[in-house]
Amino acid sequence: MIKLTIDGKTIEVQEGTTVLEAAEAAGLFVPTLCHHPKLTPYGGCRLCMVDVEGSRTLQPSCTLPAAEGMVVNTHTEKVLNARKFVLTLIFSERNHFCMYCPVADGDCELQNRAYDEHMTHWELQPNWQPFEVDASHPFIILDNNRCILCRRCSRACSELVGNHTLGFEERGANSLLVADYNVPLGESSCISCGVCVQICPTGALIDRQSAYQGKETEVDHHPGVCVECSVGCQRNVLTRDNRLVRIEGEWEDNLFHGLLCDQGRFIPLEDDRPRLLTPLVRKDGNLKAATWDEALKAIADGFKDAKGLAALASTRLPVEDLALFKSIFSDELQAELVTSMEEGYATASLARMADKLGKPFEANLDALKETDLVLSLELDLVDEHQVAGFFVKRQLVQGTKLIVADSKNNRLAENTKTTLSLNAGDESNFLVGLLDAVENETGAPELIDVAKMLKASKKPCIVYGKTFAANADEIALETLLKLAEALNVALIGVKENANSMAAAQLGLEKPFKPNGQKSAYILLGDENPSQKITKTLEEIPFVVVQAAYSSQITGNADVVLPVTMWAEQDGTYLSMDGRLQKATKALNAPEGILTSQEALLKVAEALSIKPDLDWKSSLMARVPTVEFQES
Amino acid sequence: MTKPKVASDWMCGCAGCHMSLLDIDERILQVVNLVDLRATPITDLKEPDKDGVTVGILEGGINNTHSEKVAKRMRDRCKILVALGDCAVFGGVPAMRNFVGIEASLQRAYVDAESNDSEAKIPRNPELAEMTRVRAVHEVVPVDIHIPGCPPDADIIFYALAELAEGRIPDIKGDKLHWH
Repeated sequence: MIKLTIDGKTIEVQEGTTVLEAAEAAGLFVPTLCHHPKLTPYGGCRLCMVDVEGSRTLQPSCTLPAAEGMVVNTHTEKVLNARKFVLTLIFSERNHFCMYCPVADGDCELQNRAYDEHMTHWELQPNWQPFEVDASHPFIILDNNRCILCRRCSRACSELVGNHTLGFEERGANSLLVADYNVPLGESSCISCGVCVQICPTGALIDRQSAYQGKETEVDHHPGVCVECSVGCQRNVLTRDNRLVRIEGEWEDNLFHGLLCDQGRFIPLEDDRPRLLTPLVRKDGNLKAATWDEALKAIADGFKDAKGLAALASTRLPVEDLALFKSIFSDELQAELVTSMEEGYATASLARMADKLGKPFEANLDALKETDLVLSLELDLVDEHQVAGFFVKRQLVQGTKLIVADSKNNRLAENTKTTLSLNAGDESNFLVGLLDAVENETGAPELIDVAKMLKASKKPCIVYGKTFAANADEIALETLLKLAEALNVALIGVKENANSMAAAQLGLEKPFKPNGQKSAYILLGDENPSQKITKTLEEIPFVVVQAAYSSQITGNADVVLPVTMWAEQDGTYLSMDGRLQKATKALNAPEGILTSQEALLKVAEALSIKPDLDWKSSLMARVPTVEFQES
Repeated sequence: MTKPKVASDWMCGCAGCHMSLLDIDERILQVVNLVDLRATPITDLKEPDKDGVTVGILEGGINNTHSEKVAKRMRDRCKILVALGDCAVFGGVPAMRNFVGIEASLQRAYVDAESNDSEAKIPRNPELAEMTRVRAVHEVVPVDIHIPGCPPDADIIFYALAELAEGRIPDIKGDKLHWH
């Protein structure tokens, strides 16, 4: 431990702590601009200058390591003058007229820092050099005129996301934030994760969807888990007057610290599917608006007449809904076919392996954050589960090795020279070969090379996704487990939708192949149904659909119940690595619309069923592939 | 004690800061009790007293040779010069033209604007003041007090006037400090 004095306060900190961190830990405020707690200290803006006794000049506290006996002052006249001077120089460089900017008056760190220093005006006026605004990106606007060259965006793009799209060209006052080799952002390698927008201290990077829609103080915050895939990032949904304004990553989350992908941040705000606002019942061949009572009666009558029942649920729905669905249709109504829209292809084989072992065998995502070797098996983390991909990509510059083994074209493979092609459906042979190469150093030379890399690794990870899970037979999985045991490999199974794993825990993982069933209940929620399922349902005479949006499936249905979409409901989600997390209601649903859970309870009542409401014990009834972590 | 004399004038602004002054509503009577309101765009006197005023207030930035004269005249005739509003303090919205250039701005406004007909032309009369880059007041004459805001809140204006009337220098910070 190190003892130092800041503003007369004696503070004890760990070795390696910066003076800024020490001051903040002691509750002292030192203004910063280029610094961000999730990024490596940079020392670019010089706003955090402090007076260190015995030091010839002021020192930037963000990069200065605390040292034993150091005496620091953050409020001397010299420091205050330097702060004002630094701000004056920054304002003089570009167009920082607040009245032209959407983040002014609350959301701009530059303006806020000037207010802190009681700056009523600029001693130096701007130099009036205009820069082009880049509005080529579908979600992001890049305005170099408002840039203060703090490089938080480009550092986040590299350090947090590993995408290395943003960078700077030219020098000094002519420095320009550019994408790739100065191409329009919309045509660049940008993957629209949006962390640059969230981390920008000024209005240099803004998003089209929320600019001018409401400042931080004018919006309501709804923290909760993202429901777009099984990674389960923590995010903040910002609303104003019952309208979605913006989605931000949660900086404070220990696992993801602020990261989201385009699916979690921007795409949900683009949803313009037509909403269902009233129950519908088919009368004389046509779907007609009906009351809830009429619709529920139609369901009860329909199920009485049409023998044989199939039931299908979306894995985007909360655990509570899925457990209730299972209780009603599987346990109470004893329907012949009860499954999820995912049909278990991302989970079933893995869940069976956990059943057989009687214990979990997968690791959680933390393992992927600190690894020196990643073997990606039939999984493209650039296309899906992107944030898990960020964990991998950002470590590559530190020497983490990446091996991509796939049967298809895989964009993650662009990041490595070590690729292996494997034949789909032949996973067991591939893994048996790899295990052989590890144990006996025999086999194909590329397998022997990979085996050597695996053996040399201290913390190897193997990640696999739905294609692997769907194709892998028992031999493949057993070989994978042997490999993991032999080399102490962390196995990370990326699932599919936000509640893939919950559906597997509840046994909702059979293939959806109706076999003469005369009625079906589809718990669709806000999922966009696949063509295959839409087509299969056409064979069934009586179909009930619970959905938020109008689609071909609701158009063909006999009874439609209108329900909430993701932002209008609370619920629990079980991530790919067993984290049980809450999603929070952010919007009030339109009048007359129920949550999927409320609608299911009404249906249960209409069918005189008393369902089991204890979702947690249903979820825990089966050995999971990865241990649960409750937050 | 005699009441301090206050004069104001406007240059390249929108008159909004003077409107905000009027927004102090019935407190305008208190202002009249506290200060001797002399030449302002909203009173009959049009030029600050030749023998001087205590406080001179300027709204708007300096965009041509005429407003330069207005600013210099006010500076010459007042003890304390207040720059009122974002245009006077920073240049404000009119300063956007500095990023474009004077000729391009004139061309856009007088010739290319959608509402102009084919005979539109840029007025070039020697009697017109010569346009310059839009400047903050402090770029042309020294300013004693900056009150930013677009416009500054009526409460802030009242606070500043009341302080000046009492012979104090208003301290513009915290919730009194807004840049737009």
